[in-house]
Parts: sequence; C-alpha cells; structure tokens
Amino acid sequence: MSFTRKAVACAVSLGLVAGAGFALAQSGGKTISTVVKITGETWFNRMEEGVKAFGVETPGVTTTQYGPPKADAALQGKIIEDLIAKKVDAITVVPMDPSALEGVLKRAMDRGIKVVTHEADNAKNTQVDIEAFDNKEFGARFNERLAKCMGESGKWTSFVGSLGSLTHVQWADGGAENAKKYPGMTLVDAKNESFNDANKAYEKAKELLRKHPDIKGFQGGSAIDVLGIGRALEEAGLQGKICVIGLGLPRDSGKFLESGAIQGIGFWDPKDAGLVMNKVAKLLLDGKEITEGMDLGVPGYNKVSVKKGPGKGIIVVGQAWIDVDKNNYKDYPF
Amino acid sequence: MKSEPKQAGLRDARTGSRAGLRAGLRAGLRAGLRAGLREFLLHYPAVFTLLLIILVSAVVGTINPNFWQLSTLFDMLRSSVVTGLFALGVLIVLAAGGLDVSFTAIAAFTMYAITVAVLKHAPNLSIGVIMLCGAVGGTLFGAVNGLLVHTLRAPSLIVTIGTQYVLRSLLLTFVGTALIINVPAAMESFGTLALWTYLPASGGRAILPAFVLVLVVAAGVTWWLLNRTLMGRAVFAIGGNLAVAERLGYNPRVVQVFVFAYAGLLAGIGGIVHVSSNRLANPFDLTGTELDVIAAVILGGARITGGSGTVLGTLLGVVLVTLVNNVLILAGVPSTWQKVIVGAFIILAGSMFAVRTAR
Repeated sequence: MSFTRKAVACAVSLGLVAGAGFALAQSGGKTISTVVKITGETWFNRMEEGVKAFGVETPGVTTTQYGPPKADAALQGKIIEDLIAKKVDAITVVPMDPSALEGVLKRAMDRGIKVVTHEADNAKNTQVDIEAFDNKEFGARFNERLAKCMGESGKWTSFVGSLGSLTHVQWADGGAENAKKYPGMTLVDAKNESFNDANKAYEKAKELLRKHPDIKGFQGGSAIDVLGIGRALEEAGLQGKICVIGLGLPRDSGKFLESGAIQGIGFWDPKDAGLVMNKVAKLLLDGKEITEGMDLGVPGYNKVSVKKGPGKGIIVVGQAWIDVDKNNYKDYPF
Repeated sequence: MKSEPKQAGLRDARTGSRAGLRAGLRAGLRAGLRAGLREFLLHYPAVFTLLLIILVSAVVGTINPNFWQLSTLFDMLRSSVVTGLFALGVLIVLAAGGLDVSFTAIAAFTMYAITVAVLKHAPNLSIGVIMLCGAVGGTLFGAVNGLLVHTLRAPSLIVTIGTQYVLRSLLLTFVGTALIINVPAAMESFGTLALWTYLPASGGRAILPAFVLVLVVAAGVTWWLLNRTLMGRAVFAIGGNLAVAERLGYNPRVVQVFVFAYAGLLAGIGGIVHVSSNRLANPFDLTGTELDVIAAVILGGARITGGSGTVLGTLLGVVLVTLVNNVLILAGVPSTWQKVIVGAFIILAGSMFAVRTAR
C-alpha cells in the first residue's frame, strides 16, 4: 500500500470514528447496549424485540443489541471491549460463561459503565443480575400443572438435560418437592438424562413405558426432552393418555401440543427479559435503587425479590414464567 | 502354548495307577475342551459377544420380566441402525489399520446441511435423492480424511480429531445452530414407515421401522466388500502389515482413501436416517457418540491394532452396546449410576477380549 493510500485510509477511518462520536453526542441521551450469546437465533431475535421496544418507548435512551455470530465466550468478551471503547453508558449482557467475562465486566464498571447481567447468578462483576424466576419454584410450577393433568395421582418421572446442568436438577427437585403434597403421586426413576438429545429422551421414554406401563406423567428438563418424550408417546399410540409438561419453546413444541402428545410447556419470554434488563440499566443510570417488592413495569417482574449476589451486586428475581398449552402457544412466535 | 494343557493331561494318564489314569483322562478331556473352546473363540470372537448379549438379557429379564416384550426387540433394532451404520464404517477403517472419530461430525454436517438445503430449495425431493445426497456428501468428506491421512503421513486418529473439530465449527458458523422441527415430508414419512406394527393386548403399539433395512443392506454390502473383493483383501493386508502389503503390490493410497470415503458414505447415510427417525434436525446431535461406536466394534471382536474384524461381530457388538445403554432403567439402576455401570461393563468385556487375544 502506498503512503498516500495509507494516509487516505487513515483519514477516512478517523472521519468515521469522529462522525460516530458526533452522532452519539448529538443524540444527547444515554446509550444502553445489550450483548447476547449468539446473534440470529430465534430466542435472541425475540429478545431484540424487547430491547428495541424499550428504546422506542423511553425518551432520551438509545438501545442496541449485539451478539457474536457463534456462541463463543471469547467473542462476547471482544464485543464488550469494543463497547467500553465506544463509551456506552450501560451494558446489559446474557453471558455464555459468566466466569469468562469477569475481567472485561470489571473494566467496564471501573470506567463508570453500568453493568446488568441475565442468567448469571454466579457473576461477581455485575451491579444487578436478573433471574426470570426462582428455579425451585419453576420446577414446582411444572409439577403443579402435571399434577392437575394427572388428576393428582399415579406414577410420574422427571428428565434433566444432564445431571451436571444445575438448573435442570433444581427444576426436577422442585417438582419432586411439590409432588409430596399429593399422596397419590409416586415419583419413579427420577432425573433421567437426555444429554440434550431428543433421540436419547425418546429411547429413555420408551424404556420407562416398558418398565411402568401404568405411568401417568413426564416432567421434562431440557427444552428438547418434551420433543423426544412426545414422539415416543405418539409412536406408542399413547398421546393424550399420558401427561407431558416441561420446558419447551412454542415453535418447536407446537406440533406435539396440537397432537396431544404434550399437554403443556413453560418458559420465560426473552422479549420481557430484554425489556427488563434495559429498564434496570435505566434505573441505575438515573441513580435509583432496586428494592424488594418493586414493580419494574414488565409482566412477571411486577413484584421482584432482591437478594445479595456473590459479588457487590444484587440478584433480582421475578416470577416471569409463562404457561403455554395448545390454546395459546401461537401467541408466542419464537 | 495352546496345546500344553492337553499334553499335561496325557502325561498324567501315562503315569501308572488306575485312579490316576481316570483322573488324568478326565483332566485331559477337560483341558482339551477348554483349549478347544479357546481355539473356537479365537476363530469366532463374535460367539463371545453373542454370549454376553444372552447374559445381559437373562440378567435384566430376571430382574424385570417387563424386558421380555416384542417392543424391546423393536426398540433395540431401531436404536441400533445409526450406531450400526457408523460401526460398519469404523470396522473397515480399523481393518485397514486406521481409526476414524470424525464420522459423527460428518453425519451431523451432511444431515443438517442437506435438511436445510432441501427445505429451502426443493421441499418435495424424494427420500432416494436425499439419501444419495447424504451418501455423496459423506463420501467427499471421508475422501478428504483419507487424502489427509495419506499425504500427511499422520496418525489417522489425530487427523480425524482435527477434521471433526473443523467440520463442527463450519457447521455451526456457516450452516446454522437452530433446531429444525419440520423436516422435509419425504424424510418424515420415511422415518415413520413401518415394516411391521404389533398391537399388544396391554395397549399401545410397537413398530418395527422400515429404516432398519438400510442397516441390513449396508451390512450386506460391507460383508461383500470385505470378503469377496480384491479391495477387501487389500484392506486386511494393509491393516495387517503395511510394509508386507506394499511389497505385495497393494497401493496404500488407494486403500486409505477408499476406507475413509466408505466410512464417510455410511456416516452420511446414517445422518439422514437419524433425522428421518428423529423427525427433527439438530446440529448439536450425535456429538460424543463416537466412543460408543468404537467400543461396539471392539466388543464385536475387531482388534484396535487393525487387520481383523467381521461384519457379523460388529453388528453383535452394536446390539450389545445398545442393549446395555437401554436396559439400565429397567434393571433399576438410578440415573446417577448408569454411566458407572456402562463404563464398568466396557472395561470388563474389553478385558475379556484382551485375554482372548493375548497369545
């Protein structure tokens, strides 16, 4: 590259940077940037709706969502570095691996940038971590619906993605705790591992049906479990005779909800999570505090509970689960 | 060494007294039988695999009589198909003295990329053409493996660990990460096509899926290749002793590319069968099943050092591994202990094979 070309390139890029800075300064308001695990996935596309909506309905705030093209903790760290360099006012992030982001998030906070995390209750360098719900309660919720479906009696079992996924195990335990309320319900062969593979869930469901021909209910753990269990029931001609309730996504589970192989799914809406992360960031920017029982103005976060996190920050917990069945799954297009 | 017990028996028989003679005869007979049995197992290791299958079935069936159902058999056959296709590929690579661990990545890549492409561009494509695409895609990836192994002169285990990572990354970066729940109609109907439906009196139904025929055909072709063609002879020759095989005029380049390409072909077909039977395409599927497949081939009597192995033995090995993976709940093993049992079983069975082959 000749010297003049280099000089021109330098000038152009300097101009771009200056222009961008000018544009930021011009807007006068605050910028909140949301960093997700991966860009282009339905879950995070839905989250982006919430992020954008908050920017549109809140004057003086610009919101944007960023994410790496593939799920990679290092790439996520790079994006946050860039945002620090751009001097955004607040960063909200859904970490791939919270421990991998500790350093970069600390740097952001040292520069006076507000930091909010989601699904990272073990993160130390955050001011507020937001959890959609308490995991034990979420599991109990699944089980309560399962109990209603089973007529509060009969054999049931639970699935987990793997015994190493803490949240799945908490859901299964929360379910088992809840089932103790009903003396007629018997938990058999609990916490079957599907290894996040629908085919494994299918094979285990088939084996459980063989062992317990009178089984009445399945509680799914990983979002893929209900799909495998549903297929097993459908192929055995048992759809509608056995209850299946678990974590699931509306678009993936719709087929089985229609056929009656799955009775219900539960999840939290990433759109609301996106909204609430930005809302909390705004509260921090305004110098306000989040307190026990506060209403954040987002469905499921109307009466949040607050506890101390592992670092200096706090953990805010909502009740933002959404119960979905055959009748309303179409309302959630993700 | 093999004939030693027999001689010992005879020696006893030669030493005088009548009681001694009788005892000697009996010992000789027993030792002879034992030696004969060992000889027999040496020649037909698959018999040992079969015995293990019968043993596991008997134990589980005694613990829980619910095991004795037609649906158990159907489900075992169903879950053996994809593992079986992979295992036949591993067998032929192993027979040629190599080791392939990239087949699951090849399967995942071809199945997911083809599902995406078919949905986007030709949703009405027939299953035959889809299967052909899978076979061609898998063969190409496999051939690349073979060329790399040959030209780099690197251990095939290392090369295929590398290609496995590369393929998985390429798949997730460029093709996609999302779960596809509505697979092409042809795949869906192929996956649900029943060879035989059985309605037990107890309710429910057991289905023997038609795609088990894919494994039957693949097994037949692989058997023919290994036992009735010049290529089969070259595979065993190169796996047995490369230097000797080269001097005999076998071309290691052709053989290496062929075995990896063939393993890729079976992996590609396996991927398509996986999507069809699962009725969804998940790019994260099949990861981590490599070791189960390799265990199945070894438990089927093939030697990890190459130059041996049979199709029948491999199929029995697949049935054995599938069986052990699918009866632990029936046997009442808690979820936390299941991997322990599978691991212990593989060590036990594997060490028995090691004793068998130690001469």
